Amino acid sequence: MHTIHTATSDQDEPGRYEIRLKGQLEARWADWFAGLSITWEDSGETLLTGPVADQAALHGLLRKVRDLGLPLVSVRRIEPEPAQRPDDNP
Amino acid sequence: MVYTRRMVPPLVATKLFVPAPRPSAVPRPRLIARLDAGLHRTLTLVAAPAGFGKTTLVSAWVAHLRLPILDFGLGTPEEPSTQNPQSIIQNRVAWLSLDAGDNDPARFLAYLVAAFQTIAPTIGEGVLAVLQAPHLPPPEVILTALLNELTALPNPCILVLDDYHVIDAAPVDHALAFLVEHLPPQMHLVMVTREDPPLPLARLRARGQLTELRAADLRFTPAEAAAFLNSAMGLQLSAEAIAALEDRTEGWIAGLQLAALSLQGHQDVPGFIRAFAGDHRYIVDYLVAEVLQRQPAPLRSFLLQTAILDRLNGPLCDAVTDFGLPISDFGFENQTPQNPKLKVQNSQMLLEQLERGNFFVVPLDDQRQWYRYHHLFADVLAAHLRAEQPDQVATLHRRASAWYAQHGASSDAIHHALAAEDFARAADLVELAVPAMSRRRQGATLLGWLTALPSAVIRARPVLSVTYAHLLLDGGEIAGVEAHLQDAEWWLDTPADRRVQSDAPAAAMVVMDEEALRRLPGAIAVARAGLALARGDVAATVTYARRVLDLVPTDDHLSRGGAAGFLGLAAWTSGDLATAHRAYAEGMADLQVAGNIADTIGGAITLADIRMAQGRLREAMRIYARGLQLAAEQGAPILHTADLSVGMSAIHAEQNDLDAATQHLRTSQAFGERTGFPPNRSRWCVAMARIRQTQGDLDGALDLLDEAERRYVRTFAPNVRPVAALKTRVWVVQGKVGDALGWVRDQGLSVEDALSYLHEFTHITVARVLMARAQGGHNQSMREAIGLLERLLHAAEAGERTGSVIEILLLQALAHQTRGDIPAALGPLSRALALAEPEGYVRLFVDEGPPMAALLGRRQDAGGRMQPYATQLLAAFVQDTGTWGHGDTATAVQAHVPVSPPPHIPMSLAEPLSQRELAVLRLLKTELSGPEIARALVIGLSTVRTYTKSIYGKLNVNTRRAAVKRAEALGLI
Repeated sequence: MHTIHTATSDQDEPGRYEIRLKGQLEARWADWFAGLSITWEDSGETLLTGPVADQAALHGLLRKVRDLGLPLVSVRRIEPEPAQRPDDNP
Repeated sequence: MVYTRRMVPPLVATKLFVPAPRPSAVPRPRLIARLDAGLHRTLTLVAAPAGFGKTTLVSAWVAHLRLPILDFGLGTPEEPSTQNPQSIIQNRVAWLSLDAGDNDPARFLAYLVAAFQTIAPTIGEGVLAVLQAPHLPPPEVILTALLNELTALPNPCILVLDDYHVIDAAPVDHALAFLVEHLPPQMHLVMVTREDPPLPLARLRARGQLTELRAADLRFTPAEAAAFLNSAMGLQLSAEAIAALEDRTEGWIAGLQLAALSLQGHQDVPGFIRAFAGDHRYIVDYLVAEVLQRQPAPLRSFLLQTAILDRLNGPLCDAVTDFGLPISDFGFENQTPQNPKLKVQNSQMLLEQLERGNFFVVPLDDQRQWYRYHHLFADVLAAHLRAEQPDQVATLHRRASAWYAQHGASSDAIHHALAAEDFARAADLVELAVPAMSRRRQGATLLGWLTALPSAVIRARPVLSVTYAHLLLDGGEIAGVEAHLQDAEWWLDTPADRRVQSDAPAAAMVVMDEEALRRLPGAIAVARAGLALARGDVAATVTYARRVLDLVPTDDHLSRGGAAGFLGLAAWTSGDLATAHRAYAEGMADLQVAGNIADTIGGAITLADIRMAQGRLREAMRIYARGLQLAAEQGAPILHTADLSVGMSAIHAEQNDLDAATQHLRTSQAFGERTGFPPNRSRWCVAMARIRQTQGDLDGALDLLDEAERRYVRTFAPNVRPVAALKTRVWVVQGKVGDALGWVRDQGLSVEDALSYLHEFTHITVARVLMARAQGGHNQSMREAIGLLERLLHAAEAGERTGSVIEILLLQALAHQTRGDIPAALGPLSRALALAEPEGYVRLFVDEGPPMAALLGRRQDAGGRMQPYATQLLAAFVQDTGTWGHGDTATAVQAHVPVSPPPHIPMSLAEPLSQRELAVLRLLKTELSGPEIARALVIGLSTVRTYTKSIYGKLNVNTRRAAVKRAEALGLI
């Protein structure tokens, strides 16, 4: 899926995002990516998932992706899981 | 006061260093050829992710250009025999490696100028002077000046902006877009970046102005990969192994380089390649782990610990890293110095080793003093450091901060203190850096640091609190100013033994700069005065400005100049012009002593405005002339210079020298275009509108006034001649009384209003609107106008505002004339003439049109003699006529015949009125009797009747009043 979803109406609200990268990124980068959780997909892609404060923070994360040279596959805003507090990373 | 290079921010020469090509680099002729071909176009964009060899390629290309054949295809190179070929091209490539600090536009521009000065040493001197001005003009203004100088360079040149992706500040992006749009033909721009810059790339592509080298172009071909691995990195890999690596890395150069480092000395090459090729991990993760694992422990530790540094040099790395092991432990036995027991503390040697080993270390100068890691490699090392030694990170940053502080590099010291989250230390360093940063006008950087500091840390520091307040005030963010000032005052005003913890902004006061603390009361008062003036509180402005003068030492010319300027502006706002001029002139003298030439010249405009309000046109002209002379003495374009010509234009226009007035506006515009320091557009438009109006082009004047209104920029100077009032005056001349009355109503203006100088011009305009309404038979309006004028006259006389006094007297004279009381009209007219004559006023009279001409004629008749000044004025009335090509000038002067500008002939009138008929019609609008009209026009009474009859016929009316009404409705008068 090569789409970038943004919700302009609540762009200054914190939200959960899922950033999909091509290649497998090691867990040590979690700190670099502001505490997003790093999971590997079977497809060989990496998902960075977690709360992002606002649009500025999201663009900052995308810059970091750019600086690693990892191909960006998609960025998706996802609904918070009801059972989970936003600051509670799996 | 002359600006010197000394005042330029100390530039880190490494940012301007053209990277030396690696001797071991793989030759890439196909890409070099494309870069060569791109020289014919405006922009070359080298855009690809990290690790694609962008900088290496461009530096190799620059080295290739240094070869003796130097025809850029753009111009003639210098004679090779007289020049060292290397220096020829070396002198034509300006290189700027950007970093995050360059998001401060002032810093970016300072470095840009410094980069250009590597190819033309004297370029941009004037620009640097402007960068010292307290309020940075828009970058476009500065760039235009710079571009003009570049255009004058005799030879083609190249600007390389490396790492442009670090820029995310809109002002810098806009400056770049402007630069690209206006690049001189002999100049070529190369941008090296990880992301496409915010430029109209599609348009540049379509125009054939863009050359692009992107990831697909930059990745190594199989042949290049083979050359790199086997020649440059000294491996002996089979074609199969090379193909496998090329496939796994997709030609990504950093990946291949890491793979080569992993393979150097590897026992099982096929095994390594098999494992690597079958792994899906991020190449860098996989390979850096491999590479690090293969390094001796001390070297591995060195790599991780120095990863926090943006730039590396031996002593800095010695200070930051924490080892003391014998050199021999680093695995460079063959390079061991004479004393093998020497404890390390010799990072310099290590750095040179790393460079030779192709270890992602990039030299930043010729002397091998400064290096940096390849950015990508540094990021990965830093990630390893955080994962393996998270507790160490802050310590390493603190050490780096200490080293930079010891070596006088406060920006870097602050950067590392903030990274260590050692906010107290960062705040201490910021406080000590404030004077130098303020001198360099790097307020944006300073503000960035203060924003990064927690509020509690700032509140404990009165010097930083006041600095913050000043920066907010400069940026127009007045909301937060007061709180910071109060924090600082609490510390100053509360004796140490009376400080109650619960009231205090912080637990304890911290002061690093005792000298700044001593000056704090003065600095607080300066901020308060500015804040009060911005809020329109004149009394408070005066109070605080006086306090500044009491508090600051006599040699603090900048604060004193600012305070005196505020006092002057406050006095001007309240209409006390004599005080305003004295205080403001003192302030400007102080600023000049302090070396602030740009503001001194800008101040001439305010001084001249004050003189104009005092009715002292000739003195205002002298002030402008002195300002121009001061600007010329600077030998460099200066802000506000073009505005001086606009001011001169206005005075010439008033004195009816329209050629000179027009010429000054042209000069102003041309100066702006040539130097990039254009005049204040709003003022320029107002001056041009005045000329248009004089020429009878009222619609053109209104268009210009509309633009002036849109372009108006609020300053500390009071807006005493609002553009809206100027527009209303044009409507009155056009007979659009309804529109003018609408303005009076919308503004909530009334003849009962309390009068203040700030609204004097507006209220005089109201009187004009009422008088125009009275022409339609609204007698109440005339009574109101006369009452208002009487009050306005008293106020203007009390404030010695002669400019207003003359205008009010003229309106009074016209009002009496309209009521048919000629003797009463002649009194104020005589007074106006006496006041206006020494200063050479003309248009103030002539713009009033035929009634004023008639009145002037009457005065002569009464006196029996021709007063030279009145003659001159009447001649100007006739000259207006001559401009329109009607009548015989000599006859007209003799006969004192005023003839009006041609009206707009409305389509609805079947047979247009002649000029003569219009002249009669205008007088029918007055309260002059038939014989008086005949006398005013020096024609017989029967002729007047003939004209009147003809006018009635053409307008299809039967009475004088109906004729006037209809003519007004048609816009004829």
